[in-house]
Amino acid sequence: MWQSFASYIPIISSAVPNTLILTFLSFAIATALGIAMAFAEVFATKAVSIVVDWIARVLRGIPLIISIFIVFYGLPKVGVVLPSLYAAILGIAIVDAGYQEQIFRGAIKAVSTKQLEAAYSLGLARAEAFLYIVLPQAFRIALPSWINDFTVVLKDTSIAYAIGVVEVFTQAVHVAQVIMDYVWPLIFVSVIYLAICYPLSLLSNYLHSKLKSMGMLGSGM
Amino acid sequence: MRDKLLIVEDLWKFIDGKPILRGVAFEINEGETKVILGPSGAGKSTLLRCINLLVMPDKGKIIFDGEDILGKRDIHSVRSKIGFVFQHFNLFSHMTALENVMFGLIKVKKMSKNEAEKKAKGALAAVGITEELWDKYPAQLSGGQQQRVAIARALAMEPKLILFDEPTSALDPELIWEVLNVMERLAKARMTMIVVTHEIGFAMRVADEVMFLDNGVILEKGAPEQVILNPRNERVKRFMDRMKYVYSIGKGNVY
Ligand SMILES: Nc1ncnc2c1ncn2[C@@H]1O[C@H](COP(=O)(O)OP(=O)(O)O)[C@@H](O)[C@H]1O
Ligand SMILES: [Mg+2]
Repeated sequence: MWQSFASYIPIISSAVPNTLILTFLSFAIATALGIAMAFAEVFATKAVSIVVDWIARVLRGIPLIISIFIVFYGLPKVGVVLPSLYAAILGIAIVDAGYQEQIFRGAIKAVSTKQLEAAYSLGLARAEAFLYIVLPQAFRIALPSWINDFTVVLKDTSIAYAIGVVEVFTQAVHVAQVIMDYVWPLIFVSVIYLAICYPLSLLSNYLHSKLKSMGMLGSGM
Repeated sequence: MRDKLLIVEDLWKFIDGKPILRGVAFEINEGETKVILGPSGAGKSTLLRCINLLVMPDKGKIIFDGEDILGKRDIHSVRSKIGFVFQHFNLFSHMTALENVMFGLIKVKKMSKNEAEKKAKGALAAVGITEELWDKYPAQLSGGQQQRVAIARALAMEPKLILFDEPTSALDPELIWEVLNVMERLAKARMTMIVVTHEIGFAMRVADEVMFLDNGVILEKGAPEQVILNPRNERVKRFMDRMKYVYSIGKGNVY
């Protein structure tokens, strides 16, 4: 069966760039939204903080397939028609923003107030202390989880299949239907996901222990 | 009058409705070292934090360097003239020793990177932090080294006053010496300092005046020999007897 499959490999491989575009764009949008929500939650007034927390919870609670369907089939009803690729990007980003808000909120809160007080004692203003002390430390604290989240988003992009986006999983299914064998196409596409995720998960583990040994994971000091 | 660097008058602070400081008043001359002793919970940290405005007092006056700083809008420039050394060092964990010292020089004093680096290296050398430690992160340094870097960070800003809040309380006994030694040298060089500590040996040797704070009130103040060895107040006497026992100074009656 491998022989009949082998000649279709390029068809699946050629969709790798699309999978990467889906991943990077939805991840980037989710990061921007996630950091903005996290900052609002930690530093804005109580009322804003509660509303933002609630929004993030709702976003995390939406099943991915529903989010994508809402963007692809729902938005045209209010006059916004997006090509399937962009609809998938937005649908994935919205849900992931809820998860990234959690990652960055935890990280910002883990930066000790003692670090802020040291900055204030030198004569720094609040905004400068956030920019030079809280942000860089929060980003380091968030880094391992943030990379892990990237691998989650990568695998989530396979759901774009449901609205016909050409990405590796969609192509694998199409090939499977042509050669009437699901085994090799699914193994192959899994290897593609694994080949990207595995090194990143190693990197995440390495950074975690590295940052921990450097005392940068919010030891509370 | 001009050599009175700091005048604190009738200072009150309430936290959750509870009085933490109750009418604290004292003065410190330029070049003086003042040691504050007292039990934990007395309000010593709160008092220091009021002086550099990390905590806002509810009542009273703080005149620093001829200015009423409680009425000032620009609290950042006041803070930049007052160094603060914390019990837990509070070094910036994402910066090396050298970067920690350079940070305030660049961001607050607006020095160029070169200028700041030269100045920071001088400050680190002054507290005995040698070149091989400059590029280490705080977590890679011993407690004593971290605290000396923290002193260098304060010192480099050329403050008029340095506040020390139990600078050796988080250190292993063996490392306490190296920090006290640096502080003693600063005192000898006539840096103006207010030191909260339990090290009565240091207070005896270095302090120009010792104040005993309990329950937000200064119970006694005077020369170290007097307050530590011959306190008049009963509460102070009980505290000192125990301290003398712990630090083996004279004969402490412990009961
Ligand atoms: N931010 C705060 N919130 C609540 N209570 C506080 C706070 N800061 C200080 N206190 C209380 O004020 C009292 C004095 O504290 P502190 O100034 O830290 O004393 P000291 O440094 O002498 O041990 C303590 O009873 C402490 O619990
Ligand atoms: Mg204290």
